[in-house]
Amino acid sequence: MNEFEPQIVAFCCHFCAYAAADLAGSLRLQYPTNLKVIRLPCTGKLDTLHVLKAFEEGADGVMVAG
Amino acid sequence: MGDCHYLEGNVRAERRVEYAKGLLDQIGLGADRLEMHLISSAMGREFAETTVEMTERMKQLGPSPLRRRGNEK
Amino acid sequence: MIVGEQKPLEEIKELVADYERILVLGCGTCVTVCFTGGEKEVGILASSLRMATKIDGQGKVFDEDTVQRQCEWEFLDAVEQEIKEHDLILSTACGIGVQAIVERFPQARVAPAINTTFLGLPEEHGLWTERCAACGECMLHQTAGVCPIARCAKSLMNGPCGGSQDGKCEIDPEVACAWQLIYDRLKAQGRLDQMLEITPARDWSTSRDGGPRRLVRQDLRID
Ligand code: SF4
Ligand code: SF4
Repeated sequence: MNEFEPQIVAFCCHFCAYAAADLAGSLRLQYPTNLKVIRLPCTGKLDTLHVLKAFEEGADGVMVAG
Repeated sequence: MGDCHYLEGNVRAERRVEYAKGLLDQIGLGADRLEMHLISSAMGREFAETTVEMTERMKQLGPSPLRRRGNEK
Repeated sequence: MIVGEQKPLEEIKELVADYERILVLGCGTCVTVCFTGGEKEVGILASSLRMATKIDGQGKVFDEDTVQRQCEWEFLDAVEQEIKEHDLILSTACGIGVQAIVERFPQARVAPAINTTFLGLPEEHGLWTERCAACGECMLHQTAGVCPIARCAKSLMNGPCGGSQDGKCEIDPEVACAWQLIYDRLKAQGRLDQMLEITPARDWSTSRDGGPRRLVRQDLRID
């Protein structure tokens, strides 16, 4: 259990959260490496199918940020 | 909310997230595995904190039941 | 268009319980435009079922495909092989599509993933409402283009009834009174006199009351 590193897929809006992730990077802030960021043109583009596919491919959690 | 480049994209996303959460419950994955966070472009620190916190919550939940059954890809 | 609604996942899980290789078959026409059974919804349903059955420890196969129209032989013939290779066809088309599959391929086991609800239109994004009951004798010219059969709860020929209040039907404050709509439209078009015309009791044999209907066009027949 200790070794468990959850895989998280983050769907991020290009204009908000993706930019924030960028900023976090340039501020040298640490955030988990198990996070896979997928950029959407807008979270309004979010599709139920994308969320399900992420889980089907083995994600432990999905974050939508925008 | 409302702080969106396309005016209300994130409001719509939130409704879709709610719908997907219901589906995740029916599937047996559990709605808790899906989270929506409002993060604007200036919130670099919040982004980092949110992902760290979410990772913690997912650790608490344990691996996805799909992976637990040894169905890992 | 034909409007439908997906059945709850729990119910669909029961429909597929006795089968191993399932083809989720969508339709690219009516149910695609009402977001119930097109390619994307087939993807969502198949993905949900793959995960749900895996979690239950059964792990079934759910393949996906979508044809242009399930209610025409030509389009079904194109997926004949696929249909034969699966032990259940879980259709997301309307009831016509489901029946067409098994009529064309009598050995096929079929199950409906959606409930066919009505003939209607998208009034707003995400809101569909009924418009026609396929009564077999259209009277829209008398009613300023508002159907009293499908839209009046009592299918009155001469309305409104006493239950019409503030433009709403007594069955539900959300439902517009069809006869109020007819009245308003006739008035706006300056032909309220039409309201005074009494429509006699109708012959319902052209509707469902006359049993299953058929339509023959000799000019289109080949032999
Ligand atoms: S099968 Fe049903 S949903 Fe598909 S095109 Fe035919 S009538 Fe429309
Ligand atoms: S009058 Fe009959 S055919 Fe015409 S719209 Fe109404 S139900 Fe349909």
